[in-house]
Amino acid sequence: MKIQVKGVGLTKFGELWDKSLFDLSHEAATEAINDSGLTSRDIEAVFVANMLHGKLGSQDQLGAAVASQLNIKGASFRVEGACSSGGLAVHLAIQSLLAGTYKNVLVVGVEKMTDATLSEITSALMGAGSEEERKAGLTFPGLYALMARAHMQKFGTTKNHMASVAVKNHYHASLNEKAQFPFEITEEKVLNSPEICSPFTLFDVSPITDGAGAVVLSSQVGKGVFITGSAVATDTIGLSERASFTELAATKLASGKALKQAGVETSDIKIAEVHDCFTIAEILAMEDLGFCKKGEGGKFIYSKTTRLGGKLPINTSGGLKACGHPVAATGVKQIVEITQQLRGNAGKRQAKGVNAGLAHNIGGSGATAVVHVLQT
Amino acid sequence: MHTYLGKKGKVLVWTKILVPPLGFEHQAPYLVGIVQFEDGQKLPVQIVDCEEKDLSAGRHGLKPNQKIEVVIRKIGKVKSEEVIEYGIKVKPL
Repeated sequence: MKIQVKGVGLTKFGELWDKSLFDLSHEAATEAINDSGLTSRDIEAVFVANMLHGKLGSQDQLGAAVASQLNIKGASFRVEGACSSGGLAVHLAIQSLLAGTYKNVLVVGVEKMTDATLSEITSALMGAGSEEERKAGLTFPGLYALMARAHMQKFGTTKNHMASVAVKNHYHASLNEKAQFPFEITEEKVLNSPEICSPFTLFDVSPITDGAGAVVLSSQVGKGVFITGSAVATDTIGLSERASFTELAATKLASGKALKQAGVETSDIKIAEVHDCFTIAEILAMEDLGFCKKGEGGKFIYSKTTRLGGKLPINTSGGLKACGHPVAATGVKQIVEITQQLRGNAGKRQAKGVNAGLAHNIGGSGATAVVHVLQT
Repeated sequence: MHTYLGKKGKVLVWTKILVPPLGFEHQAPYLVGIVQFEDGQKLPVQIVDCEEKDLSAGRHGLKPNQKIEVVIRKIGKVKSEEVIEYGIKVKPL
């Protein structure tokens, strides 16, 4: 498989009270189309990733709403898969190119979250959980807190290990002007921040964010950055139904398929954006993607191997934790970040000598996993 | 609900929720865990009549594999004109 990432666009992530969802989608899409060297007339299909706007903003049919705003007359779709909506939209867009139906398509991931109250958002996000989880009053931080507890019990992972994920990703965000939290924090700050759901404190948890990302994908390849692997895997929607709470089986399945498609090994991946919706999630991702052994993810990150300048920079954008997590935009932002790194134009956060990267996007507590491999 | 009544089991993992979703604000903070019943079935459910840590004499603190049994409790917040919803929670044995 060889699909070119022809253009990328990204808005500032944050509490953007002066911008509507359509301001954000328009800004990111226009930037991506301009970056591709194409015009909106060349775009044959638009895939819009969004999770919450039907619930929070009352606007459905977002495929047409976003495409028509760009004066695109071709096919338009809305794709939903909770926090993996962005990755899923990229995957579907690639399938349409591989099928030969279209040659140039646009993917826009967009979310407008900060207009709702905290309990409204917490409830809306739980749409991605199971009926039993909602009845029990569980939240997404709560579900990952259960996984963190299991990992601590089984492997001796500590709160300091988890804190090191937030410290690293805030450092990366301090180098990214698009990030919601472009500043550094200390391990003490994480450990002493208010408790959200034990064992998580505030800084173990990704924020509520407005933002949009966009990519133009093309089957007419020239020089540049290519997606060479794209795979999706599925698990139970409820956490309790799984055999293990210390791994995301869908991550393993999707990454195995994507790497095989690309014809590369895990050791060939030099940089990755992974789904760190909570600090424990990045620890699980390191293990399930095979970057370290099961149970050693906490120590692996604590050792600074995955900090910029280390052997395997992870989440150079700042990740979901510090760049921000506009849920359906996240999967698209990951593709934007890896593309910029492979192009060599990531500015202050540029990693050295990278020619292959990976993007890992999760929906819910691990019911959906999407993995993309990108190469120069 | 009746299929759960009388069931016993153990707590596998738990968390204390301080930031609740809509309808649970009046209960926070509260404990939620995944329990495994003696027949092997697992369920996410609230844990009542205990504290996360055993803070005072006579109260239960939580530990891995804490034994529990199912109890009937009110679920969510009820407005005066609505039917009271009952469901299951678990308490330590």
